[in-house]
Amino acid sequence: MQINKPVQLWQLMFEGDWTTSVAFLGNSRRIAAGNKSGQVFVWELPENPPEPDKAEKKEKPENSEPPNFAPVRRLDGHTNGITRLCAAPDGKTLISASLDHTIRIWDVDAPASGSEVVVIDQKARERKARNKGKEEKGMILNAPGTKVETVAATHILKGHDGWIFSLGISADGKRLISGDDSSLSIVWDLASRKEISRWRGHKHTWVRSAALSPDGKTAFTGEYGGKRDNFDIPAAQARLWNSDDGTLKLDLLKIWTPKVKDEARTDSYSYSTVWVKLLGRGLVCASFSPDGKVLAVGQGGEGGGKIHIVDVESGKILRTVDGHRLGACDVTFSADGKYVLSSGRDTTVRIWQVADGKEVAVLTKPLGAKYKDWMHGVAISPDQQTVAAADISGKVHVWKLQS
Amino acid sequence: MKTLCSPHEHLSRRLLLKGSLTTAAGGALMNWGGLFNSDAMADEVKKQGKRCILIWLQGGCSQFETFDMKVGRPTGGPFREISTNVAGARVCELMPRIAQKMDKLTIIRSMRTTEVGHNEGTYSMHTGWSQTPAVRYPEIGAIVAKYRGTANSDLPNFIKIGSGGGGAGLLGPQYNAFALDRDGGLPRNSASRLPAERELRRHRLRNFVENQFAQDRRAEPIRVHREAYDQARRLNNVRDEFALDAEWEKSREMYGDSKIGRRMMTAARLVEAGVAFVEVRHTDYDFHGDNFEGHKALVPPMEHAWAALLDDLENRGLLDDTLVVWMGEIGRTPKINNRSGRDHYVRSWSTALAGGGVKGGLVYGESDKDGVDVKNNKVTEGDLFATIYTTLGIDPKTENFAGVRPIPLAQFGHRVVKDILL
Repeated sequence: MQINKPVQLWQLMFEGDWTTSVAFLGNSRRIAAGNKSGQVFVWELPENPPEPDKAEKKEKPENSEPPNFAPVRRLDGHTNGITRLCAAPDGKTLISASLDHTIRIWDVDAPASGSEVVVIDQKARERKARNKGKEEKGMILNAPGTKVETVAATHILKGHDGWIFSLGISADGKRLISGDDSSLSIVWDLASRKEISRWRGHKHTWVRSAALSPDGKTAFTGEYGGKRDNFDIPAAQARLWNSDDGTLKLDLLKIWTPKVKDEARTDSYSYSTVWVKLLGRGLVCASFSPDGKVLAVGQGGEGGGKIHIVDVESGKILRTVDGHRLGACDVTFSADGKYVLSSGRDTTVRIWQVADGKEVAVLTKPLGAKYKDWMHGVAISPDQQTVAAADISGKVHVWKLQS
Repeated sequence: MKTLCSPHEHLSRRLLLKGSLTTAAGGALMNWGGLFNSDAMADEVKKQGKRCILIWLQGGCSQFETFDMKVGRPTGGPFREISTNVAGARVCELMPRIAQKMDKLTIIRSMRTTEVGHNEGTYSMHTGWSQTPAVRYPEIGAIVAKYRGTANSDLPNFIKIGSGGGGAGLLGPQYNAFALDRDGGLPRNSASRLPAERELRRHRLRNFVENQFAQDRRAEPIRVHREAYDQARRLNNVRDEFALDAEWEKSREMYGDSKIGRRMMTAARLVEAGVAFVEVRHTDYDFHGDNFEGHKALVPPMEHAWAALLDDLENRGLLDDTLVVWMGEIGRTPKINNRSGRDHYVRSWSTALAGGGVKGGLVYGESDKDGVDVKNNKVTEGDLFATIYTTLGIDPKTENFAGVRPIPLAQFGHRVVKDILL
């Protein structure tokens, strides 16, 4: 991955609800994004954004927004918010996890089941129509929507009975992992859609993050549960599992807090004063490096958004990067394993060097500047040239890493 | 030989007074343990009249995540509705047990109150009045203690499990709440570690000195001070008998293995023992950020315990005489902010009543399609408190005096919501 003066190419409007997740499908121009209403759209972007015409260029201030582009497909079926999207390496299979208790598998190239005209840029139209004459304003606001093809899921995985918070896919695209709000984690065989293993974590915890190693043999889960009462906090967890049979490989929290006695780990309140420093309000995002040797996990919530880089074999934290002013939301590695990309509640997408933890790029400006909302999801294209982020204000931002 | 006792060896006078003055209620706690085992207690409570348990949701539980859902609307959030045991009434999926108790509940979906801050709201939703420097309005527990409590009872008539509230105000400190700790146990500073004989000698000596001191002094604070000390001392006598651990082990599964479960069970036992008013607190609902995860964590143990409380009271024959009030100081905004939170809102929100004197299976009032405003049957805090007092057999127009100024129990211009009364 090369970074040289990153530039934002697109700002894709996806209004209506929080955009939560984003994924590249095979190349840097095909993007899928999901939101909290359960909608998933697919964009096929041109190679380059259109050049503004002369008049527009003259009118355009320096800090104007990047161009929008309309989606081409909508993936219908989910009835509640999308929490995570994962793309398989074949470039056409998309997997979505949802609060509606299901995982759906989509063939993005499948024949359309229908078509519909949608408007998902109403606020952008209203902004554009400001200070325009009555006639022009009417034309802008009442312009026809975008015709999109609708596509139904090819398969629905129904092993969960609660909100599915987390989803991960192995690099070879053979296995999935999902985790829900009843502390249940399931490893799936993607081809057969059958369960390989399942396990439950601690009572009252939610599986807030899950990831699979590139070969799919090792799974990470981060568990966290909200406070049930004063001094009544479920014990958070961070563990590595053998995904073939769901047996525990490493209890990372035990490695990270060696001075805590085992019996003290059941006292949830006292214990929380120890683990909260490492886990914040839970590790809400996780990703294995392409070689499977390193794991990146990010603290969620409104506290700090530290990213821990963990050695998978020993379970030790190699280094911690601390740049997000608020909690992290998503984390992923570059294909060469040299960089970690993270998005967070401080409205930033940050790129870190794994070797020394140095922050090498910030793709957005922090809270209070251009962006006001969380960057909920982040993805990097297979060719490592393009980064996309899901902004909860209803946008998908797309950057080229080299201008 | 030890000549001076160290502070921890005996009941510190200062600590005891501090604790007892701030928590002093109507009576002391003689034979507390025995009271729980009395088979005739339910009948005795019935004879004594109505009781009230207030489930207080400090911070402001969201109406959108409990009783007034707006699924599919921009204000709705991610939770879904579930059906209840009353046809047509639906509640949040976070409350499956309460959904099966809907036939016992009256839900008010049209609360419109005045105080949007926590402190002000806590005061107004405990007293029915807004704060004013001129009058110290009594909170509901103190009023129930005065008008429904048992005079000269060994038990306090007003107990809080947790702390906070408006105080007895113009009714006087004898109606203040007796505060148990968050697990429903006696406060730690109520204990004397002296041997009984030695404690008695000290008590006699103190009594002698205080009698001498009081002979020429008739001031009210002196009387209250002595009364509080006596109450606290009598409480100390029954400390060993005050133990609900065994009871909790029997009830843990029923109430849910949670701290709020234990508090609710304690409330049921206290009401059964004859306490007129018990307030149970469940705190930290103030979710300006991560509202949905917060409610997802807090509501299930609360609703589990609340449903068990209703069952327990019913099984013991107490529900018809015990009004269970569920409320906090504020509701939450329809708009979901960019912290995934909801802010304070009092223009349209929800409370619930169950048990003694109110209809079951009733949804009263309605908010508009997005929960922004009350659509019909608005209920103010004055209306709510007047209705509660009426349910408990207390005339809301009853006056007490702030100096020479008569102050009714419920706000001027209140409306008793007769539609919800049996």
